[in-house]
Amino acid sequence: MADYIKFVDVTKCDGCRACMVACKNWNDLPAEPEDFNGSIQSHRDLTANTWNVITFNEHETSDGNFEWLFRHMSCLHCNQAACEKACPESAISYTKFNSVVIDAEKCVGCGYCVQNCSFGVVQLATYKDKNGSEYRKAQKCTLCTDRLEQGLQPACVVACHTDCLIYEEKDLVLAEANKRLGEVKERFPNANIYNPQGIEGTNTIYLLADKPSVYGLPENPKVALSQVVWKDYAQPLGKMMLGATTMAVIGAAISNAVRKDRPEGDHDHE
Amino acid sequence: MTNHWNDLQYADALMVIGANPAENHPISFRWISKAKQKGAKLISVDPRYTRTSQMANIYGQLRSGTDIAFIGGMIHYALENDMYHKEYVAAYTNASFIVDEQYSFEDGIFNDYDETTRNYDKTKWAFKKDENGEIVKDPALKDPRCVFQLMKKHYARYDVDTVTGVTGTDKDTYLEICQTFTGTSETGKAGTILYAMGGTQHTVGTQNIRAYAILQLLLGNIGIAGGGVNALRGESNVQGSTDFGLLYHNVNGYMEVPTGSDQDSKYKGFLERITPESGYFSNKPKFYTSMLKAYYGNSATKQNEFGYHLMPKLTPGKDYSHMRLFDAMYRGELEGLIMFGTNPVVGGPNAGKEKEALSNLKWMVAVDLFETETSAFWQKEAGADPAAIQTEVIFLPACGSFEKEGSVTNSGRWMQYRWQAIKPKGESRADLEIVHMLARKLKGLYENSPKQQDMPMKALTWDYGESDHPDIDMVCREINGYDMKTKQQIKGFGDLKDDGSTCSGNWIYSGFYPESENLSKRRDNTNEGMSNFLNWSFAWPANRRILYNRASADLNGKAWSKDRIGIQWNAAEKKWSGFDVPDFVAAKGPDDPTFNDPFIMMAGGKGALFSGGVNEGPFPEHYEPYENPISNAFSSIQLNPAVKFGEKEMNAQGDVSEYPIVATTYRVSEHWQSGAMTRNIPWLAELMPHMYIEISEELAQEKGISSKDRVIVKTARGEIEAFAMITKRFKPYKLKDKTIHQIGMPWHFGYKGIATGATANRLTPHIGDANTTIPEYKAFLCDVRRAK
Repeated sequence: MADYIKFVDVTKCDGCRACMVACKNWNDLPAEPEDFNGSIQSHRDLTANTWNVITFNEHETSDGNFEWLFRHMSCLHCNQAACEKACPESAISYTKFNSVVIDAEKCVGCGYCVQNCSFGVVQLATYKDKNGSEYRKAQKCTLCTDRLEQGLQPACVVACHTDCLIYEEKDLVLAEANKRLGEVKERFPNANIYNPQGIEGTNTIYLLADKPSVYGLPENPKVALSQVVWKDYAQPLGKMMLGATTMAVIGAAISNAVRKDRPEGDHDHE
Repeated sequence: MTNHWNDLQYADALMVIGANPAENHPISFRWISKAKQKGAKLISVDPRYTRTSQMANIYGQLRSGTDIAFIGGMIHYALENDMYHKEYVAAYTNASFIVDEQYSFEDGIFNDYDETTRNYDKTKWAFKKDENGEIVKDPALKDPRCVFQLMKKHYARYDVDTVTGVTGTDKDTYLEICQTFTGTSETGKAGTILYAMGGTQHTVGTQNIRAYAILQLLLGNIGIAGGGVNALRGESNVQGSTDFGLLYHNVNGYMEVPTGSDQDSKYKGFLERITPESGYFSNKPKFYTSMLKAYYGNSATKQNEFGYHLMPKLTPGKDYSHMRLFDAMYRGELEGLIMFGTNPVVGGPNAGKEKEALSNLKWMVAVDLFETETSAFWQKEAGADPAAIQTEVIFLPACGSFEKEGSVTNSGRWMQYRWQAIKPKGESRADLEIVHMLARKLKGLYENSPKQQDMPMKALTWDYGESDHPDIDMVCREINGYDMKTKQQIKGFGDLKDDGSTCSGNWIYSGFYPESENLSKRRDNTNEGMSNFLNWSFAWPANRRILYNRASADLNGKAWSKDRIGIQWNAAEKKWSGFDVPDFVAAKGPDDPTFNDPFIMMAGGKGALFSGGVNEGPFPEHYEPYENPISNAFSSIQLNPAVKFGEKEMNAQGDVSEYPIVATTYRVSEHWQSGAMTRNIPWLAELMPHMYIEISEELAQEKGISSKDRVIVKTARGEIEAFAMITKRFKPYKLKDKTIHQIGMPWHFGYKGIATGATANRLTPHIGDANTTIPEYKAFLCDVRRAK
């Protein structure tokens, strides 16, 4: 089977936010109204219960034009996912659809994935057990893996009426992305295809109307070598020798060190 | 819509003015996007930069209430630069008609104006006729008294500098819009105009839309795929409700309501008054009599004038629209009110006063999904003193759309049947059931009354079954109409008779339910051509998808463009055929003298550049809104001279000296109407949880307002407090003599539900259009300050 990926052509988004409602509806997520933030953007960031947000950015371009930039913000499902690398419990994995998913049973709520995500996507939800003690679980967009398994497209894609969101064969998507890039260059000279290679590409590819930084995206995200070494070599070895808990503590030290690599201001605000 | 949603994809240029489809009709963008993908230019004209503006190729800023100046300037541009469709204009419009010598226009006033009544004598806007009673014409369009030349003269004053000095549009942008849109005058090209309440909700609302229609006729854009004047309806079934006589002055199918005048004292006299000599409405007696047969069945006989006297009559000249009803309520003249899904305490103009008026009612019945600000107007939370209000309020819980069966008619006139998805919650009932139960109960109460005045209730046929749930199929069959003797369904309105042998509840829908099946239930999505989907649902009239589609073909009956085929004359088969149902007599060939008369509903068959039908004049003329920041640049007449004022106490007016800032109201994607539904749905409420005022950076700086501050907006009617949203999307208008600020705000909010906030309509004026009395929600004056 050919690889399928999600494509977000932000130049086609009209900001209607049907994707947000469709996501909450399918995934049965609670509403989280926020305080007034001075814009029509509903949520400042993604949360454990709000897996996609349309960002609204009143942007003055370098040539003095005005653009109101919209972006469907959600998990990019990186091919080399920092969250997966950071997880000491192997609760995060890649599916056959290349989506990155969290196994709630295995997740201990340590939050390393939250700290390490290149895009600020993963967040912790707090629950209470029957004794009233709190526990936490990392949550984020699943690319509707449960729908993909049924041969359905992600809920956000189905709800999108302008074809800003597409779920298609990778080769077709890349060809379409390049074609669209050519078409929008006149209006958006800084337009680019966002498919960062430092993390081996993502399974959500964007056509952005301006530089990634304008959208609060890191220009060239990478998973630190220490993380890769940690996950792929040290952790399996260490677990064998020291046991999981000790390794989690060591992991936290490394994660915090790695976190400093993250660019400043990588969130979208108007 | 003259056209329909799917058809938008065929436009070469789309001008959105007085609408914001990306936010308020999002699904339309599926089709608009397709058009853009093919290279079409999208133009957004709006007081502020909206989500639609971001999707557009060109954005033009327009001060609220200046559409006629804007479009008048485009008409001027088209005429001056030869950017109009000459053949189309000469043959298909009334451009060549000679206007009789009574017509004049001077300093904002047309001939035969009566200042005391604020009325024109519209019969004095007429065409010159020869000795045979035929209209005199000049096909060369050179005669200074022909419509074309008079129109040219009228709009000569709308030069680009005067226009942009009034509208505040950047001059270069304005010229780019003119050039782009009038470019669709080229044969084979199509441009469409999309409008909504931003066009209609003005004291000059009707003339705004007239201006769009005139421009489209000049460009040859009516009747063709990708063209048209397209009203984006504000509610899923608002088209259907007006089709079915929702407005006080219409019965079903846009026919007149009788009045108590002498002329109307007999059915014959009434029919004579309402039936034109030519055009398709010359068949009106057939439609009207068939409707009376549907209402009164066997009680409608030739002897009793088909039950005509059973119909309620209006007082001649009296306005019974929303604002005038509230005026009457305010004066204590109304006892009771039944409301189906309406919330005037949030949605009505000068809502604070309308709320006050409600307490003069003896009783009110509210049918709604939720208790609204209106049905709770008497409660403490509403700021009322319950002990002081004697109104008895009865609340009936209603079904949501998924809980009931029936049809809705969309903006494209498609009547689409819907089925019940889930059983209603609790005791809630469908509107249809509530009306059915009420009608049966009332008929029962009057059953044995010998009184003459109770006859209308007794004679009313109501044979939709004996249970509390009406037989909807019976209702559908009656709407279509049938032969009274054989009970066979009629095939279409062409079969309706004026002798009482047929019935039809609504002539324009006649044909949706022939003997074979209810066509509104069809779901065949085969595209037979030009995306008209003729076997999907049913479009009135007669399943025609594009109105006036005769005009899609040239003077020989051949399509103007092979890429834009509507219907064409097939000489071999001697009939019109193509991708649509002809909006024309199918067998009318080139040898018929009316072969080139596409506008079959108009007397004379020509598109009306000049019209005697509108209250303030044959050509749209710019007047300032009721509350305005500048003197009218086009004449010394400030306000539309045909506008009526209504109850003085309801209608406080602010002056620019005290209220220097223009304000407007609008909707957002996430809420619907007064928010009664959407503010109660958590997933929508979280997307738009707060009431806010959009303020430009420049005004914010002047007033010392920062983002997220609480601000107070004040008008002559009242004040509200909300969050400040400082935005680059509002810009001050540089008008000819001064710079003017404008603010805007959504009108969805009230104190009930999950998402709550101040009600914008506390601010809006209680005055409306001179023809429809739709309130002027879209342009008024205010002042803004930071809340302490």
